[in-house]
Amino acid sequence: MDQIEHRLRGLMLAGLAGEAGPYRQLLDELARLLRAYYARRAPPGLDAEDLVQETLIAVHTRRATYDAGQPFTAWAYAIARYKLIDALRRARLHLRSPIEAADDLFVPPGAEAAMASRDLDRALAALPARTQALIRDTRIAGLSTREAAARAGISEGAAKVAIHRGLKALGEQYGGSDVADD
Amino acid sequence: MSRTTDDLIASLTVDLKPVSAGMVARRIALGLGGGAVVSTVLMLAWLGARPDLAQALATPMFWMKFAYAALAALALAVALGRLSRPGARLGVLTAVAAAPFVVMALMAVARLAMAAPDARMHLVMGASANVCPWRIYIIGLPLLAGAVWAVRGLAPTRLTLAGLVAGGCAGALSALIYGFHCDETAAPFVAIWYTLGMGAVAALGGLAGSRWLRWR
Repeated sequence: MDQIEHRLRGLMLAGLAGEAGPYRQLLDELARLLRAYYARRAPPGLDAEDLVQETLIAVHTRRATYDAGQPFTAWAYAIARYKLIDALRRARLHLRSPIEAADDLFVPPGAEAAMASRDLDRALAALPARTQALIRDTRIAGLSTREAAARAGISEGAAKVAIHRGLKALGEQYGGSDVADD
Repeated sequence: MSRTTDDLIASLTVDLKPVSAGMVARRIALGLGGGAVVSTVLMLAWLGARPDLAQALATPMFWMKFAYAALAALALAVALGRLSRPGARLGVLTAVAAAPFVVMALMAVARLAMAAPDARMHLVMGASANVCPWRIYIIGLPLLAGAVWAVRGLAPTRLTLAGLVAGGCAGALSALIYGFHCDETAAPFVAIWYTLGMGAVAALGGLAGSRWLRWR
């Protein structure tokens, strides 16, 4: 902790003096630390990377509030904590559900699975029909790639390529987005 | 995952300018100073300076009031600067900021103890107890606005406490300004009614702090 404090404080003081190199190093290192901090603290639904970026912006725009006589780590931590609390507060404001949506609570047994499959239908709908059928056969019905290829009337190699491309497209559409929501 | 964060860091570090160390103090001085100008104009237009101001400036009681409000305002302004910095602790400043209030209260008690019993009521109530706190409250509003402007441009992280101290500082400066109108001279009067006016502005700041001082 003392070593981190010493090093980061040195980078910060250089940054305050206008040296871009050490300052950039400081922000890189803070981004890494903040990512780990928010990954542990941010509840599901809050984008940890958004918080990392918001905090970096706050550190930058409010850097004149750092007092060189005070610990840098305490300063940065107070901002990170403030940003987390602020995000939680805003998330709570957004949580107000419409009162007519009683269905959200009173779900008939088995409906969860039906909803999941409806979501899956919606996700797959963007893919070509033959790719959809291949993914259903191999990933849901449990057929082998060769059996699925035979049903689709194409070669096994072509089926593999189509499945790979289809899953990749789904991944790009739904998972691993690095674009902020707002 | 972190490509856009890298871009962000790159954009924040191009064209980096040096930052001067006195920025926090300058901004708070600017906010309170601007508020003080408006509050002084408000007081002069609304109530006017006391007619015997020239003679009053030669009396110790005028300066007792002045020193009480000025020292409280100064200590609270320093505390406000501290609260505008993330992670900074008030520490001994809490005691320093409390000192003017404690001294004033002791002076009031001493004055009452020395007075004849039938003179005590007047020492407490004076002639303007019913209007004094309200006037200090009203005159303090522009000062509070200036303090809020200054602090929310910095980085407070304990918003209610920062609001309370901003209001207390605005109230103390308001009492200082009001002292140029008010001709009450008894320590018990000042300790009660001036302090109540300051406390009203402080309470407003504390209640609204979490909304007014929130920054993004």
